[in-house]
Amino acid sequence: MIELFDVTKRFGDETAVNAISLRVAKGELCALVGTSGCGKSTTLRMINRLIEHDGGEIHLDGEPVRSFDEVTLRRRIGYVIQSTGLFPHWTVSRNIGLVPRLLKWPKERVRDRVEELMQLLGLPVAEFADKYPRQLSGGQAQRVGVARALAADPDILLMDEPFGALDPITRATLQDEMRALQARLHKTIVFVTHDMDEALALADRLVVMHQGRIVQQGSPIDLLHEPANPFVESLLGGLDRGLKEAALIQVGERMLPFGPRLLASERIPYGASLSQALSVMLWHRVDRLTVVDEEDIPIGELSLRRLLGAKAP
Amino acid sequence: MGVNRQSPNWVLLSLMLVSVVAWLFLDALNVAPNRIVPGTPYTSLEVMGGWPALLLGLPLLGVAVLAWQPSRKGLQCSLAVVVAVLMLLPLWLAAATVGFVDADAPQARVGIGSALWLLLFLLLLAVIELRTRLGVSRAKGWLLFMPMLASWWLALTLWLEPLALVREYRVRSDQFASAVYTHLMLVGAAVGVSLLLAAVLVLVMRRQPAVRRIGFAALNFLQTIPSLALFGLLLAPLAWLGSRIDWLGNMGVSGIGWAPAFLALLGYSLLPMVRNIFVALEEVDAGVIESARGMGMSRRQVFVQVRLPLALPVVLEGVRITTIQAIGLTAVAALIGAGGLGTFIFQGLGQAAMDMVLLGALPIIALALVADALIGALSERLRLGGAQ
Repeated sequence: MIELFDVTKRFGDETAVNAISLRVAKGELCALVGTSGCGKSTTLRMINRLIEHDGGEIHLDGEPVRSFDEVTLRRRIGYVIQSTGLFPHWTVSRNIGLVPRLLKWPKERVRDRVEELMQLLGLPVAEFADKYPRQLSGGQAQRVGVARALAADPDILLMDEPFGALDPITRATLQDEMRALQARLHKTIVFVTHDMDEALALADRLVVMHQGRIVQQGSPIDLLHEPANPFVESLLGGLDRGLKEAALIQVGERMLPFGPRLLASERIPYGASLSQALSVMLWHRVDRLTVVDEEDIPIGELSLRRLLGAKAP
Repeated sequence: MGVNRQSPNWVLLSLMLVSVVAWLFLDALNVAPNRIVPGTPYTSLEVMGGWPALLLGLPLLGVAVLAWQPSRKGLQCSLAVVVAVLMLLPLWLAAATVGFVDADAPQARVGIGSALWLLLFLLLLAVIELRTRLGVSRAKGWLLFMPMLASWWLALTLWLEPLALVREYRVRSDQFASAVYTHLMLVGAAVGVSLLLAAVLVLVMRRQPAVRRIGFAALNFLQTIPSLALFGLLLAPLAWLGSRIDWLGNMGVSGIGWAPAFLALLGYSLLPMVRNIFVALEEVDAGVIESARGMGMSRRQVFVQVRLPLALPVVLEGVRITTIQAIGLTAVAALIGAGGLGTFIFQGLGQAAMDMVLLGALPIIALALVADALIGALSERLRLGGAQ
């Protein structure tokens, strides 16, 4: 659990972070969103004390971060940055094993852990263990970055625009993997991004920052439904808000389980989002889709009325 | 193999044409009965009936023709030809020398003329050009010079006794050895001590911005003083120190000799050293340093395990520049009695004996080239991080 109480940071005359309070529960993924210079990265770095806060208190599991030695503190917290920060003169496996080695784990345990993590992140050991960072693609390098952050199995993970430098396809893939990983590992994660779609897709809790202050926080759906002011509303996509919400809801949640009906001409997997279903309807100019499961077996139906959230007649 | 028309390789073409013209029409040799008398110049066509000179020159014209339409095969042929000519040149010189000078004329000497020097220089440039075009690796590139070095060695040991350069060397072989030793010691000491001093200075500078500003200003100023002037400036205070403080005097500190030379070399070496070490350490990717800290490495671990190894290739680059600069500057130090290879240059200039000047200058060039190649190769290896 991470708690911030009235935390303030000033750089000279400028107040970068202004009395913000925030609580990230255990196992929660909290996304800090905002335009550049809004103080989100500064907030993140104050948690592992790469930047020291000037006022207020930051607690990890109830203890102030200042009560820890900063090196000890950081070894307990995973850290991933946009530029990966992999050591170019170390191999992939040595990079991943960094924190366990700093913690003086026995050699075999470090090796086993590195191999376990490489498998977890889809990096075949035989192929990647002895490669150097510059031999990796952007997506592979960031996987290594995430593996390195997870190496000593920290409870807390800080991620500073981890997928910001990747192409859209790789970014989407890594976001999916991130979600799957989080569903398994239940880390407490603070995730900084300026990409609202990324934040909506990943976050349990969304924190919108502007000029060093928290403007609004809550679940993605709450924010979409009741943006606190025009700034949050524009950040959430303005006229596209409906589609963004639809992207968060699965077809399975709105479909009508099969009754004695004719199959519709087009199909949609039940795990797809409502926005995808809407797109299929628009494309084929139909108002009815057959919902199928993983084996392509029809299990229900989604009409435009149900998609819109209206009760069936 | 398609017939793709390439534009001519003008570099190679002009190198070859100038080589052939210089080789055939400038003075190749200078034969003198003794050291005092100015000798008689000969062009290469006047030596041994001229046909061996043509035999060496004509293949170079062939290379010029190939350079008009360069293909990979053509370039490979050209490289073979140039390497062969470079290898045959000392043998030609040996044959010419044996022909000109009787074995029983111990004073007679053969000087190398401008034609031969130019040909050597231009062909070496051609080898470098061809090596780059063909993408020959650094290590293999050095093998290209081996046949030439071997044949020079052979010619020098067997036949080239009457060569003026060799005659000059024979007279002062002991002096030569000690000059090379002094030269290397001065360079080694200056580079070694400046590396240590610079490292300490940079560590302080990184913590104290004020020291950084003053330090760079002072070093920049030092660098602008002409070397002879600096020797002059050091003369008085060192002479005073040497005479006042006994143990300094006993060590050999005085206004002239090794002490001022060493101090001046040290002064000149500091700026390139400090600048390179400083830049090398500062230049390390900020993201890498941030993640190192963020992962929980202590300051010391960040420096030793991350910053230093990543900076090392650039640091070595500084060592390379400083070493080459010091090898050249040490020649000037001979003027204040520091010894070294510069001694021959200045004595030779005084006696108008060009071959003696060369006896000093050629080894200095060779030392600089060797230092450049060795440190360059080391830095390249480190840059690759052993990943190849």
